[in-house]
Amino acid sequence: MATRVDPTFFKSLEKFGVKDWKDCYHCGNCTANCPLTEEDTLFPRKTIRQAQMGLKDKLISNTDLWMCYFCGDCTKTCPREANPCEIMRSIRRYQTSVYDWTGLSKKLYTSAAWEIAVIVGIGIIILALFGLFLPPSAELWSNPARFINAQGGVMINNLVDGISGSKFLYIIHYGDWVMALIAGGLLISNIFRMFYLTLWRDTSVRIPLTAYVTEFWRLVYHFLTQPKLRKCDDKSYWLGHITLMTGYTIMFILIVALLPVFQTEEIVPWYNWQRILGYYATFGILVFLIPVIVGRFRKRQCKLKHTHPTDWHFIIMLGLTALSGIAVHIFRLSGMPLETYFSYVIHLAILVPMILIEVPFTKWSHLAYRPFAIYIKALKRAAGRREEAPIPQFA
Amino acid sequence: MEEVRIGVYVCWCGNNIAKMVDVQDVAMEVETLPNVVIARDYKYMCSDPGQDLIISDIKKHRLNRVVVSACSPRIHELTFRKALEHAGLNPYMFEMANIREHVSWVHNDREEATRKAKSLVAAAINRVCWHESLEKRSVEINPATLIIGGGISGITAALEIADAGKQVYLVEKSAQLGGFASKMCLTSPFMYSTTQMIRAKINKVMNNPNIQVLLNTQIEELSGYLGNFTTTVSEDGRDLELKFGNIIVTIGLKAFDPSVIENYKYGILPDVVTSLEFEGMLKAGKIETRDGRIPRHVAVIHCVGSRNATYHDYCSRLCCKNALKYANMVRAAIPGANIFEMYADMRAMGNGCEELYSVTSKKNVMFLMFDQHNGLPEIRKAGPKDNCDMIIELDEKLSGERIEVPADLVILMVAIEAHEEAKRLAQVTGVSMCGNQFFIERHPKLDPVATTTDGVYVAGSCQAPKDIPDSVAQARAAAARVLCTISKGNVEVEVTTAEVNEDRCCGCQTCISVCPYTAITFDEEKSVSVVNEVLCKGCGTCGSTCPTGAIRAQHFTDLQILSQIDGLLEKSMELKEV
Repeated sequence: MATRVDPTFFKSLEKFGVKDWKDCYHCGNCTANCPLTEEDTLFPRKTIRQAQMGLKDKLISNTDLWMCYFCGDCTKTCPREANPCEIMRSIRRYQTSVYDWTGLSKKLYTSAAWEIAVIVGIGIIILALFGLFLPPSAELWSNPARFINAQGGVMINNLVDGISGSKFLYIIHYGDWVMALIAGGLLISNIFRMFYLTLWRDTSVRIPLTAYVTEFWRLVYHFLTQPKLRKCDDKSYWLGHITLMTGYTIMFILIVALLPVFQTEEIVPWYNWQRILGYYATFGILVFLIPVIVGRFRKRQCKLKHTHPTDWHFIIMLGLTALSGIAVHIFRLSGMPLETYFSYVIHLAILVPMILIEVPFTKWSHLAYRPFAIYIKALKRAAGRREEAPIPQFA
Repeated sequence: MEEVRIGVYVCWCGNNIAKMVDVQDVAMEVETLPNVVIARDYKYMCSDPGQDLIISDIKKHRLNRVVVSACSPRIHELTFRKALEHAGLNPYMFEMANIREHVSWVHNDREEATRKAKSLVAAAINRVCWHESLEKRSVEINPATLIIGGGISGITAALEIADAGKQVYLVEKSAQLGGFASKMCLTSPFMYSTTQMIRAKINKVMNNPNIQVLLNTQIEELSGYLGNFTTTVSEDGRDLELKFGNIIVTIGLKAFDPSVIENYKYGILPDVVTSLEFEGMLKAGKIETRDGRIPRHVAVIHCVGSRNATYHDYCSRLCCKNALKYANMVRAAIPGANIFEMYADMRAMGNGCEELYSVTSKKNVMFLMFDQHNGLPEIRKAGPKDNCDMIIELDEKLSGERIEVPADLVILMVAIEAHEEAKRLAQVTGVSMCGNQFFIERHPKLDPVATTTDGVYVAGSCQAPKDIPDSVAQARAAAARVLCTISKGNVEVEVTTAEVNEDRCCGCQTCISVCPYTAITFDEEKSVSVVNEVLCKGCGTCGSTCPTGAIRAQHFTDLQILSQIDGLLEKSMELKEV
């Protein structure tokens, strides 16, 4: 079945980043140079061609670009300076907006004003919720000593009048659950749409049900370890990425699942597991973030040369989350209850919009799309194998 | 017969020959051969002292034949013949033995190489014994020139020659001058108006007193040879006899008829047009479909009839850059149109063309590649839901996908073919044709305007597909060659021609059928073949096919060749079993 070309399609891609789609003349250096391409996974050249020709359906059902980790080697060796790496990123942004059924992703990617408005809006809601339901105790100003525990630290869960420490903790705990459910629910619904667009819609492919089980390990394995990224020439990139990824995963588990044992009134000694894990998570986020910020300013590395507004938003939000978290910790240890309260509120006013926006709609969604794309590819291959198998062999 | 006195000179060629051949030994040994008066070796025979050595020896030892064993005769035969002339000998009393290319450069056993050199020199000595004096001949050149074809090449050549004050007969088959170039709207890649360019040239031709333009005229028959051709043409019903010394053939091209390619449905779908028809649209200033609508989707298909084993293998050279021109012009005329260029390979070569390609690629033109080996694009009428008139379906090579392209107007970039008159004119003028019926130049690199027939030159697209600058350059080159012969007044012709022994000739006419230069005619009265010594190039084909041995190729007589072989065998002597 022939696909109709659409010469105006690239215009709808332009808002996702790259403006010039015509430079590539398909020499294939990028594909040859990429350590991640495989026989049936030929990006970036083929993906770029689909975008140039406006083969929208082919592009939407193409999972290859999730195999790319944007190391920038293709851009480095491109003889036409067509910047394949940035084109791949732009298509990834487009893809993310297509998987999202709410349409919000497209708005966030194509309009910086929309993104800022949504972030600020959610932040204000968080601040308002605190102001209305969990206002600071008046004694934070008059009698701060009341909030200091035996070890000299701030009793973080008792800074609100009329609400006991355990009640406060559970309000926050359930709030975290709500946030995680919203973000996760949206992301999961988008993943279903991804499955539909890339796999189930294509009726010519029949995936054996058993394959869903036998190939499932890939999803977990690739989610946890990103083995494909290790194939990239720059190995330090993998190390930084895995540190970041384990860091925020640990932090996410600590605040969503283990808040009652993490955010305790008593200040546990530094060698206790909660604190060690917390420090590791903070270290993991900063160790990745600082070189990325420096790199994006210096614009020396290909992969960091071009920055879409949403890239900056993500960096800023993640950085501020980490910094405000550190501030909470320092104020708490130094016995400064007033500062602890406000830094805690600000920390949440940054963290919540970041999770709600980045995880289901924009950049952070790759945490799911990428391993799922690998899973989907494996399912497609399994279907291919099944079709090939029954060819009868006559002697 | 006079006493044969031969001088033999063995060249060292610096170290080129001397390192592998014992040149002194060769000289010493051949000196003992009969008729050899003197044999010498010398470092560089081709140098002035080397030539002087020969000249002084000729005078001192009364030599009447010379053998030089050195490099290839292709390089220095003429040098040594001149030396002989200086010494007062006939230059054909000379033979060269090639012991560099044939010996020292290709062998690595010095002893064997020396032996081979000796036998080659001995062969040359044997041959030169039977050499005869041959006299140079020249023919007078009639200063008028016939130019066949009034396209851009013919017009250019005519003006060039007429401006030098010489008479030109410009013969054009159709009713007007200008040819295919005048059918174009703008040139590619620099977008000049062809009308303005050609119109000015045609006016110059028409007003030039040295040019006689003969429209609606064809050359049916031609007689004569270099310097003295005649033909009869009819002008206004009167027969007119033209006499001229040179001919430039500039008959141009024919456009490929795309209706033979079923996929393109040319002639069936009204809005599938050829590039020539589209040029007509551009000239008229309107890009529209047959029923007068402005096309929203314009597709240009390249290589229609070119670079395809079924039609023509060759590249027509102009289509890519013209197709790029169309993309630009359509974009300018209909800014919102979708433009598709379907190409097999983009071959826009020449000054400014790559630049045109990159400029065009930035104008939102979609370039789609197809593979001629995997089938051509297929055009079909669109359905009611398609929102366009036609759909082109093709396997796009770069994406690997089978795609559909909407189109309201399809432009077929038709190939350039040899002119339909090419075959007939090749026979009339004696010019050779290649398999595609383009005329063949004498040498593809070193002699691109002359043909194998002396006095007949080619220019323009009758020789191969060419654009205007190339045609003009070739036309001017041909004009320069013609003016050279005219200003010289006469021209030397080949001396080593074939001779017919009329007593032996049986009149079988085998020689006439094999002669590549149409130099042999049949004398009905005497019933013998007659060689035209001006047309004959001395290739020897007739001599070797003549069943009665009546034809003798001068300077390559049986006696000369057989004695050369004798010499070779005598010296290479004890044939060893290998």
